[in-house]
Amino acid sequence: MSGFTLSLDGREAQAREGQTILQVALAGGIRIPHLCYDQRLSPTGACRLCLVEIEGEAGFHASCTRMAGPGMVVRANTEAIRAARKSTIELLLSEHRVACTTCDKDGDCLLQEYAYEYQALETRFPSVATPAGRENYATGDKGIEYDPSKCVRCQRCVKICADVEMAEALTLRSRALEVQVTTGFDLPLKDSTCDLCGCCVSACPTSALYERAAKGLGQAKDLVKVRTTCTYCGVGCQMDLNVNRRLNRVVRVTSEPGCVPNDGNLCVKGRFGFQFIHSPERLTKPLIKETGTFREASWDEALALIGGRFREIRERHGPDAIAFLSSCRCTNEENYLVQKLARTAGQTNNVDQCATTCHAPTVAGLAASFGSGAMTNSIGEIQDIQTLFLIGANPTDAHPIIGLEMKKALRRGAKLVVCDPRKTWMAKRADIHIQHRPGTDNFLVNAMMNHLIEKGLHNEEFIRNRCENFEALKENVRHCAVEEASKVCGVDAGLIRRAAEMYAAGNPSAIFYTLGITEHTCGTENVQNLANLAMLCGQIGKPSSGVNPLRGQNNVQGGCDMGAIHSVFPGYQKVADPAMREKFAKAWGVSMPTNTGGRVTDFIEKAGEGVLKAFYVFGEDPVMSEPNQDKVIESLDKLEFLACQEIFMSETAKLADVILPASCFAEKDGTFSNTERRVQRVRKAVDAPGEAKPDWEILCLVSTAMGYPMKYNHPGEIFDEMAGLTPSYGGISYDRIDKVGLQWPCPTRDHPGTKYLHEGRFTRGRGLFHAIKFRPPAEMPDAEYPFLLSTGRTLYHYNVGNMTRKAEAIHQRQPSNFVEMNAADAVRLGVSDGDEVRVVTRRGAVAVAARVGEKVRPGGLWMPFHFVETATNRLTNDAFDNVTRTAEYKCCAARLEKRHEIVE
Amino acid sequence: MERLTSVRAFHDWQSRLAQALDPNRKMVTICGGTGCTAFGSPSVQEAFSAELKRRGLADKVPVKRTGCHGFCEKGPVVVILSSKLFYPSVQVEDVPEIVERSVLKDEIVERLLYVDPATKRKIAHDHEVPFYAKQQRQVFRLNGLLDPVSLEDYLAHGGYAGAVKALSEKKPEQVIDEVRESGLRGRGGAGFPTGVKWGLARKEPGAEKYVICNADEGDPGAFMDRSLLEGTPHAILEGMIIAGYAIGAPVGIIYVRAEYPLAVCNARIAVRQAQEAGLLGKNILGSGFDFDIFIREGAGAFVCGEESALIASLEGHRGMPRPRPPFPVQRGYRGKPTCINNVETLANLPLILLKGKDWYRSIGARTSTGTKIFALAGKVNNTGLVEVPMGATLRQIIFDIGGGIPKNRKFKAAQMGGPSGGCVPAQFLDLPLDYDSVKKIGAIMGSGGLVIMDENTCMVDIARFFLEFTQSESCGKCVPCRVGTRHMRDILRRICAGTGKESDIADLERLANEIKKSSLCGLGQTAPNPVLTTLRYFRDEYEEHIRQKRCRASVCEALVSSPCAHACPAGVNVPQYLALIAEGRVEDATNVIRRRNPFISVCGRVCDHPCESRCRRSDVDEPLAIRALKRYAADHAQRYDALLMPSAGGKAEVAIVGAGPAGLSCAYFLALMGRRSVIFEKEPIPGGMLALGIPEYRLPKTILQKDIDFILKHGAELRTGTLVRNVGELRRQGFKSVFLATGAQKGRELRVQGEDLAGVTDSMEFLRARALGKTLHCGKKVAVIGGGNAAVDAARSAIRLGAEKVMLLYRRTREEMPAYAEEVAEALKEGVEIHELAAPNRILGKSDRVVGIEMTRMRLGDADESGRRRPVPIAGSEFVIDCDMVLPAVGQSPSAEAAAEVALSEAKTVKADTVTLATSMEGIFAGGDVVNGGGTVIEAIAHGQQAAVAIDRHLGGAGMLPPDVSYSLRRPSEEEMEKVSPRVVEPMLPVAERLGGFREVVCGLTPAGACAEAGRCLRCDLERLQSQSGRFATKAKE
Repeated sequence: MSGFTLSLDGREAQAREGQTILQVALAGGIRIPHLCYDQRLSPTGACRLCLVEIEGEAGFHASCTRMAGPGMVVRANTEAIRAARKSTIELLLSEHRVACTTCDKDGDCLLQEYAYEYQALETRFPSVATPAGRENYATGDKGIEYDPSKCVRCQRCVKICADVEMAEALTLRSRALEVQVTTGFDLPLKDSTCDLCGCCVSACPTSALYERAAKGLGQAKDLVKVRTTCTYCGVGCQMDLNVNRRLNRVVRVTSEPGCVPNDGNLCVKGRFGFQFIHSPERLTKPLIKETGTFREASWDEALALIGGRFREIRERHGPDAIAFLSSCRCTNEENYLVQKLARTAGQTNNVDQCATTCHAPTVAGLAASFGSGAMTNSIGEIQDIQTLFLIGANPTDAHPIIGLEMKKALRRGAKLVVCDPRKTWMAKRADIHIQHRPGTDNFLVNAMMNHLIEKGLHNEEFIRNRCENFEALKENVRHCAVEEASKVCGVDAGLIRRAAEMYAAGNPSAIFYTLGITEHTCGTENVQNLANLAMLCGQIGKPSSGVNPLRGQNNVQGGCDMGAIHSVFPGYQKVADPAMREKFAKAWGVSMPTNTGGRVTDFIEKAGEGVLKAFYVFGEDPVMSEPNQDKVIESLDKLEFLACQEIFMSETAKLADVILPASCFAEKDGTFSNTERRVQRVRKAVDAPGEAKPDWEILCLVSTAMGYPMKYNHPGEIFDEMAGLTPSYGGISYDRIDKVGLQWPCPTRDHPGTKYLHEGRFTRGRGLFHAIKFRPPAEMPDAEYPFLLSTGRTLYHYNVGNMTRKAEAIHQRQPSNFVEMNAADAVRLGVSDGDEVRVVTRRGAVAVAARVGEKVRPGGLWMPFHFVETATNRLTNDAFDNVTRTAEYKCCAARLEKRHEIVE
Repeated sequence: MERLTSVRAFHDWQSRLAQALDPNRKMVTICGGTGCTAFGSPSVQEAFSAELKRRGLADKVPVKRTGCHGFCEKGPVVVILSSKLFYPSVQVEDVPEIVERSVLKDEIVERLLYVDPATKRKIAHDHEVPFYAKQQRQVFRLNGLLDPVSLEDYLAHGGYAGAVKALSEKKPEQVIDEVRESGLRGRGGAGFPTGVKWGLARKEPGAEKYVICNADEGDPGAFMDRSLLEGTPHAILEGMIIAGYAIGAPVGIIYVRAEYPLAVCNARIAVRQAQEAGLLGKNILGSGFDFDIFIREGAGAFVCGEESALIASLEGHRGMPRPRPPFPVQRGYRGKPTCINNVETLANLPLILLKGKDWYRSIGARTSTGTKIFALAGKVNNTGLVEVPMGATLRQIIFDIGGGIPKNRKFKAAQMGGPSGGCVPAQFLDLPLDYDSVKKIGAIMGSGGLVIMDENTCMVDIARFFLEFTQSESCGKCVPCRVGTRHMRDILRRICAGTGKESDIADLERLANEIKKSSLCGLGQTAPNPVLTTLRYFRDEYEEHIRQKRCRASVCEALVSSPCAHACPAGVNVPQYLALIAEGRVEDATNVIRRRNPFISVCGRVCDHPCESRCRRSDVDEPLAIRALKRYAADHAQRYDALLMPSAGGKAEVAIVGAGPAGLSCAYFLALMGRRSVIFEKEPIPGGMLALGIPEYRLPKTILQKDIDFILKHGAELRTGTLVRNVGELRRQGFKSVFLATGAQKGRELRVQGEDLAGVTDSMEFLRARALGKTLHCGKKVAVIGGGNAAVDAARSAIRLGAEKVMLLYRRTREEMPAYAEEVAEALKEGVEIHELAAPNRILGKSDRVVGIEMTRMRLGDADESGRRRPVPIAGSEFVIDCDMVLPAVGQSPSAEAAAEVALSEAKTVKADTVTLATSMEGIFAGGDVVNGGGTVIEAIAHGQQAAVAIDRHLGGAGMLPPDVSYSLRRPSEEEMEKVSPRVVEPMLPVAERLGGFREVVCGLTPAGACAEAGRCLRCDLERLQSQSGRFATKAKE
């Protein structure tokens, strides 16, 4: 991009090709008022405040739409221009119900700011404002309220909804002064295509759109913005908690355009899912169970009990009798402490976190293929991808902000291949949607590779230079003909070929997957097969090209990085390696345990067998999240001692002997590592309720009580200790990530972080091809259970639901559980949309509402697992991946019963 | 239909079709345009077919439904070929007769012929109808000739030859050069050179380009695009093919509003036909050029005519404009280079390609070549579509083609270019209309809409009306247009409602300019035009609305109870006294009139009756004879001298200078408010111009005296023969207030050589001498110079005084004469000769006596500020008229000598506030001719009334005029209201009895005549009262 200069108000300003005059001016510190301009949007030219004069051209020109040109002489603040702006502001004030006294935006409103600067008169024109309180599309919505009497009709909300979110929920209606924002056909917002991302609110320059829940809780001057990292998925959006210190309350959540990785965008959970922080259901005191009921206790008493029991049981039964479950919702520092606690005070490798439930196959599979198990590329690279290959991933629901980046790529002309048994948002807009049978991914991928090799479309040079074991792969896929795959997967063979070709041809292409790949008994193999595909086409190790698992929980990357895994220390340093054990023994001052340790699924099994006696569960709810819930409860019931560190009375906590009241993300400091390996800060915004303590403090107290004293003054000290022991984090510190996070590997203080992995060389040296044989799911439909049930996450809720379900706005959108089924099946069974049906598997049954449509294949069922009252995991199959012990949530056989059959 | 694959095949087919045309073939053509269709042309067409079938002529004489003929006023239009007999407004019943006589025998059906409104002449053939004859139809030439849905018909008349010529003989660049050099400019309104636009579009890289035909004709008054698309859709397609070939676009889109169903339908048919014939599609005629056309219907938003909004709409977005640059030729539809041309522009292209740029450039003006189609509407006799060369004048369009203004009313202004165009006042009637000249005077060519307005149009109301439209059509995107136009509308509404503020005009102007400068698209940038142009040319009307609560056109409802009463400067409740006269209640009628006007007898004779020119009855037939009815009331009242109020007593506080109608009225109204006054009059008799200027045959002395006596009896002292030298002195003498009403007595000089010769007497002087009974030598051959009432009065007096020959010499024509038309007519009857278009050069004398005048022949040039055409001397046309007396009557000068200490205007009139008539000196008020430089009697009376109110307030009173009285009056029934009876004419003294004396010429109405005439009143006042009370009733319900 070539640079040039132009004259702006007599000053020389630097500009680049493609910049508007306004952008040049703003970058150069020249004030030009603007209401409809938003850096995330294409220019609108509606508000007419940014008018400037250009020498040699008659009249005024909107600087937001006019491209800067070399040598231009622009005057942005002549008397005539300022007079015109003043008039325009006065016109705006006349259609605006000027009520700054009771307006939340007072002090943070562009219109107010400009009116003040230009000393615009409210009295020049009589008011023609829309009467306040008139019903509109947002009436009755719990999330967003729209006040047309404060709307300046800048269209930022409409455009961000259409152009960035691509939800196209908002539009304008009527003409002239009756112009208002509304939804198509004036539907209530919740019945429109709105996802409640709230980007419209963020784009509003006045208070026409606002969060209903924030009303009256503080004006701009009362609020402090605390920058932190969202707690709802692996994207790691940077958000500002707007805190009213006087009320010790988070009032609203905002985000700044320009921030990494989300550019000011948030999703429904990030923006509206914070009400749980101030929920009256929060745990505020330590609780001890006596004769089946909990009583409040002092911290000392509770800690003494935990310390005593764990010590006693380990001493009595050895290191395999105790286990620690860490939490990927919590910080790196805390995960580090949990595994340290397990290995020091606990002297056991029985430590795990919820990656086992979701992405453990990623870590294992990619590590086996490439040498390291993480997303290879960055979120920022997505927009430059030419072919997006999505398999078993539903980013617009599960990772909405990554979904936005993908939408950006699509707008820039990217091709899209989606392999998913469900017709997701992306699938509907895909160039090719392969709606294959659940659990047939390997056959599909093998067939694609078969086709590519047969056609000679594989990247021989890349394979030769950078990979090994290709012959085994070639031999293996030789047996997976596309025609055969077509039958097994239930997909047109032509589609499979075209999809393979489209992926191979992209310059570049990138694979994205999530739990549709990992939550299978063949999860690790699935991951390895995607690695095979990428290596086959040479689509890895370069910008915007690679294999990208989108991590589910906010810190599942960090949880793994921190070594809360039985087999590795922080930074994937192997426990089995004596040198590593020595390193950590030296650092921590005690010898390291040598037992093999297990995964959370092992812990539950062992508890059921009576081998595991004491279990420390930190910030997790395995009763809700693990498959075959009845069996989980039965197993945990057999424990001698269960301690939980929680913020709510979870289903698991109900079974505990002691519960310690913990802090949520808004109440403590620390770091999260997002899906693109970016380590970002979490900051304390409000005080925890009651006697609840930050988790890192609690962990120190527990460790001390178990006999290994720990003491830190601040999480930063923990981080520094960890970084000193973890090469990939070695160069990262709080001061370096204060503004923008860093991506590991970042071994030294002067290392800039790593945008994408495997450039030139794989972490393990050569990329390893694995010959993967297709294995069907553990449980297949039969006459008795004719449906194939998959489970997953929805846009609105987060995992076990105990946070998001506390938010009114979200609850309004999705109050209860449901099962998706195909219309053809519904007709056959006489089920109508909304009917209550019973979903039955060999393990249990739940009654939920039927959602009839075309989203799932005939014969398929799909349910979310966020609802405790109708726990979907009562149905799921406790069959596990043979490498990582991850359960096959995506496939089990089920039966559907209609309501009258339930009554019987 | 054959599919053409080569140029040769095309030419073969075309010449076969052309040869098959038989110019002598009998045929009935009937207009199938939307206008005629609405008038019932389909059933007339059916009737023709049925009639011809009945006579076994169905095969011999075809009935052809053509496109619009443009003369929509006269639909359904039928033309019989080959005789070209033209029948307007044909009804089904007329069909057998037309077939019988005109189709079978080539006879003319006299009764169905078109009657020229100007000449009342019957016209048989369409090319003789002035409406057609004076147009220059190029683009529109085939519209009334072709069957719109027949490709063969179009081809037979040379269709597609232009496009084929372009494709087969020219490179795209050559086509662009041809069009650029032809001077064609965009007919959509802005006038951007079409060839330049094409050149820019061609230069853009890429193969995906578009040609869009903008057929979103949004101006409610314009319909030429509609008509072209309905009538000659193939010509538009041909234009698009040429455009597509020139810029290298393979796709054309017609964006046409869905409200044009016939245009949509015919365009669809045409596209299909062209595709089938191989004129659209791949490799057209083997040229290698691919081009196809799609039709998209717009939902009818005004703003979608704006090109960027049109593109947004085409793309499926809300029709809102986008900022330019980038211009559509750079990034348009789907982000690709797009050339948008208007329908009419496209329709010009086949002609340019076929006949060449030089031919095209020979038509029209230098910077605006070719023709332009205007949609002529409003207050004009012939409404419809009019095609004239660029540079034609409004006068040609309105008067020559449009047949003038109905009822011979005065042309006031034309709204040009649609709702966001500008008002063009009368002074520009002779301005050549082209893009640049129109822009200079604040209007735009715009849509080509041309709405003609006459004197009964309120310019403030018009501005409001257009603002209402543009405001409601504002898409709402940008602030200045969305909010600014709303405030403009609100201010205009307020002014029209009589609640305007002094600051409103300045506010409007400021806002309008801000909106123009700051708005995003053409809609906002032009929406203030009607306001700005009316402010520029009709500012006084705004001021009247605001300050005097007066709407001179009697349009603004809130200000007007009935148009007649509102038009009366003195505010007489006209409908009420008319109703009283209708019931025979003459006394009550005079009682009503006297509340606002003491000069009933006078005004019943000499008033210029503005009430009548506003009378709504004239929309039905003729206005009420209000003046005659007033005279009837005065003449027949038994107790004419009964006081309206007891005579005012006490000491006189007010001095009135001048006992003319203004001064006397002031004294009268002051007396009604209980204030005595002293009237100083320098002449020996009171009455001012009424006594000294108006000859007795119009206003007998006794009659005038009756009114003066009536006034004085209410309490005023008259001191005649008393000259006041300085009104300031009167103040110092103790008069608390002075009303200066010294009139404009002195005649203006001719300023030609020989004016001092004996026998040259100013007409005012001449009339005064006669009125004062001075001995008067009247010449034998008298030349009166001028065209006003004074001139006519002098001429008619001279005839009565024994002149043998009286000549009225006027520099313009009789039509422009300011004298009352009826007076002129009577003068002619009495033997006065009128010499038009003659202006005095010098007065010739012999021994200091007049012997003749050397005159110059004049011709009418361009319009002056009033819209009248300026007389222009014809060089070398001098001629001499023999005469022995010359009476110049070329206007009067104000007599403001007494206003020594008071500020005067440049014209030496006294400066006075328009509402209070207060002068620059405290306590001194002025009115009548000394202020307005020469007005009517009723204006002077109104000034007297205004001054009395202001003086009373000045002296601490309430300034209350006598309140209305309420009479219980019978409501006329609906039937009575609908009854049409002709206007009653006042009887006149036979000419023979008039000459040789000054007997009153006009004789009053008879009681029966007066009753009948008064009964014609439509009672607009009741309608208004009813709507007000109706409104009140609904409010009460709420």
